[in-house]
Amino acid sequence: MSAHDLAGPAMRIDRLPRRRAVNRLMELIAWLAALIAIAILGFVVYSVARRGWSELNLNLITKPPIPFSFTNAPQGLSNAFAGTLVIVGIATLMALPVGILVAIYLNEFAPASIRNAVGIALDVLAGVPAIVIGIFVYGLLVVGGGGQSGIKGAFALACLMLPFVARTTIEVLALVPNSLREASLGLGIPQWRTTLSIVLPRAIGGILTGTVLAVARVAGETAPLLFTSSLVGPQTSWNPTHALQTVPLAIFELSESPDPKDHARAWAAAFVLLVFILVASLTARWLAMRNARKIAGR
Amino acid sequence: MPKLGTSIRITSALAAVALIAIAAAGAANAKPARQATTINGAGSSLVAPALAIWGPAYAKATGVQVNYSSVGSGAGIAAITAKTVDFGASDAPLNPDQASACGDCVQIPWALSATVPTYNIPGLHSGQLKLDGPTLAKIFLGQITKWNDPAIAALNKGTSLPDLAITTAHRSDGSGDTYAFTDYLSHVSSEWASKVGNATAVNWPVGVGGKGNSGVAGVIASTPGSIGYISVAYVKQNKLDWTRMKNAAGNYVLASAPDIESAAQTVTSVPADNKMSIVDPPKSAKFKNAWPLSTFTYIIVHTSTPQAQELRKFVFWALTPKSQHLINNSFLVFAPIPKVVLVAAEKTLNKVHS
Amino acid sequence: MASVDVTQPARRPFSGRRVHLGDVLLQGVAGLAAAGASALVLLIAWKVVDGARPSISKYGISFVWHVVWNPVVGREAYGAGSFLFGTVITSFFALLLATPLAIGIALFLSELAPNWIKAPVTALVEMLAAVPSVVIGLWGILVLGPALRSHIETWLHSGLGWIPLFGAPSAAGASLFTAIVVLAIMILPIVSSISRELFLGVPHELKEGALALGTTRWEMVRGVVFPYARGGIAAALILGLGRAMGEAIAVTQVIGGGVFIHWSLFSQGDTLASKIAAEYQGATSNLDIASLIYLGVILLALSLLANLTAQWIVRSVARQHGVTRGGHA
Repeated sequence: MSAHDLAGPAMRIDRLPRRRAVNRLMELIAWLAALIAIAILGFVVYSVARRGWSELNLNLITKPPIPFSFTNAPQGLSNAFAGTLVIVGIATLMALPVGILVAIYLNEFAPASIRNAVGIALDVLAGVPAIVIGIFVYGLLVVGGGGQSGIKGAFALACLMLPFVARTTIEVLALVPNSLREASLGLGIPQWRTTLSIVLPRAIGGILTGTVLAVARVAGETAPLLFTSSLVGPQTSWNPTHALQTVPLAIFELSESPDPKDHARAWAAAFVLLVFILVASLTARWLAMRNARKIAGR
Repeated sequence: MPKLGTSIRITSALAAVALIAIAAAGAANAKPARQATTINGAGSSLVAPALAIWGPAYAKATGVQVNYSSVGSGAGIAAITAKTVDFGASDAPLNPDQASACGDCVQIPWALSATVPTYNIPGLHSGQLKLDGPTLAKIFLGQITKWNDPAIAALNKGTSLPDLAITTAHRSDGSGDTYAFTDYLSHVSSEWASKVGNATAVNWPVGVGGKGNSGVAGVIASTPGSIGYISVAYVKQNKLDWTRMKNAAGNYVLASAPDIESAAQTVTSVPADNKMSIVDPPKSAKFKNAWPLSTFTYIIVHTSTPQAQELRKFVFWALTPKSQHLINNSFLVFAPIPKVVLVAAEKTLNKVHS
Repeated sequence: MASVDVTQPARRPFSGRRVHLGDVLLQGVAGLAAAGASALVLLIAWKVVDGARPSISKYGISFVWHVVWNPVVGREAYGAGSFLFGTVITSFFALLLATPLAIGIALFLSELAPNWIKAPVTALVEMLAAVPSVVIGLWGILVLGPALRSHIETWLHSGLGWIPLFGAPSAAGASLFTAIVVLAIMILPIVSSISRELFLGVPHELKEGALALGTTRWEMVRGVVFPYARGGIAAALILGLGRAMGEAIAVTQVIGGGVFIHWSLFSQGDTLASKIAAEYQGATSNLDIASLIYLGVILLALSLLANLTAQWIVRSVARQHGVTRGGHA
């Protein structure tokens, strides 16, 4: 049915009762689909939250795992939490400046043809499956290059973060009105200083938002770390030149175990990860709102 | 009016961050400065319980940390070949291609254990199910599909077997247990030998895959009617049901340390590359109680390696009677290594230098 | 995908202006970063194809459909057939399962829902989008798998067992079917968020014009909203498909593994991504490793196809609707 039919013979007034009935039916179906979807989503979130919450305890973060413990000595996943903090931190340090620079180039300097080309490249990069990135970094850095390390894992995560950071930075840079740039240039200020001290500060809020969202996304990535930072022991280490355990990999390993105590730790770790990601997303949204208000207010 | 200070601050911040990133990336490719007191290994999940005992004991005795990652024998071989770890651990000896890819690697047998067919049949308790080699092969070939099949019932007179479909479980990762298990099946079933063969990873005709010994244990524990093969320590740890296997001598045996030790007696002399197979010991009075799915497990190191001193100390320590006794207990069921194998192991270990 | 009207990006400074060193430096460094980012994609493609070379030269293109995977030395043979089948089947059925629910939720949130429901439900959908795949996989192994096995699979088999898709239920919780449900849950938030924004982005004049003509709400949706958003929805579906095809971890946790092509959804199987995740670490022979990377090449090609198709649709739709977004869709 296209817009033309809206005035056609099917819409005659004497067909109204039938049309109303069809309308009712479709509304019901939409409600039903939505309710089913909500029920499923709600069930998943509730299911994870309930199990994770009940298994949560401080040992999870403070105690290292004890492989093959035949006793009930308290164990946790301290090595995984330390490793995730380090690796995600380094990944952000790698992806953020490059992403901002790419966005600056595309938005402030590049002609339309290059903008299109690089834009397509970024979107393509965003669509590369995480496991292929894992194979790529493994072949590039790990094999013959001294083995696994937290830094190589961070590099893999940075590849995943880059298109996201770049894309959101481009969008906020484009939101900065051109009048500001032109006024600045008109006053004789060189373009580089215009960009860095006028345009960029206006966009900082959006950039921060994009970064926090990107961090939230890669904090849970498992596949690239499988190739770059998976041969780890139970000791807690903050040294990124060795392979470090990470929370998603720890959950992955524990999920396949038959031991209910392992499952308990997996749920608890999943819960912490989920809460972290949720808090990050909410923070990002709050930052975005605050930023929008600031721009509107000024 | 934009202050010069703001732009300088932002520029320097960006530059600093970029520099850190570049430096970090550069440092990543430099040889990681390992602390002198850590040795890193990866591989077999069969020997992981032993290392879980040895690691802390060794650290207590010498202060040296042993970092071990249980990722499967195949991954252990791959890791030591790529030199991403100091030592690899594998229950499967290196095949010729792997040996040449690994270069100057040597394999040193340092523990002795077994893999056990493990089942989950409602109504049957541990040790109740009796199977023999050819029947086990048929099950894993997918030719016997129900537990109350006449072939199984014939071996289990007096036990009521349910009318339940059989689900076989196997390792999805490269595994030394798979190697020992398929080695055994190839010995007892010519059809298995020609159709599937023997390796750390094979083309399974049927069944569900699990990652690592714990993955397979997870599948068996949660799937009624399942049967798989798991290292002894995991069977005990997870309180799963183990099968009585009929050995070549005609006796139904369980995988206990004495029965595993008996199987190891098939080794009279050790070949130069330490490659030994002790599955399906021959029919003879000496092996009347031998467990037919026993296997040595090896540590694989490069002959020339920077960590040679620490590795030699560690493996010598592991081969001492005291350390072997540490893992020969009711929890883990590692059997004592025969003298002739110990001698060969130490001879190979002496070749390792920096 | 904000629906904000954005200004044109900055143009080059007019000619005749003095060029500062700082300008050259910034443009140089930033340009380098952009070139690097673009080169990264090419580098990934090249490295992956390069790694697969031994397998590509041995098997050629027939690798793609051969159903075999035998890593035993002496009888090595590799082929992607069963994994390609697994990828196609799981992604297709996941999309089939997720689409009506996603469109339903999107319509609900944009047209039907009372205001007080909109915010919590939107939050719920976004919350699910934020759940990492390994956690969904954990839930799949411990909660979904057993539930599907004991209830849904038996019910489907007894009712619809004559359809080859619904063969004998597997005793293990792991199967293609569990993977399909897991994937559907993972792509549901993506498709529904994009659809919802598309529906909200339909110009009010069009919608109100239709209603002014006396259409019912459903007729308005069918006659105005759907045609307008058609392209965007197609792109969203393809993006969801791409996401489902590339998912390795959650799938490998629940799919069971196997190198065969059975028509029953309740059998085990493997996808391109899950096979790589399961076997890559333990692969020792060069041909085995190269073949696994070859699987990655096929996966990359499929993802790129999906991604580029979605991008093309979005750009042509944007052109159709006259939306300018600074060259970036």
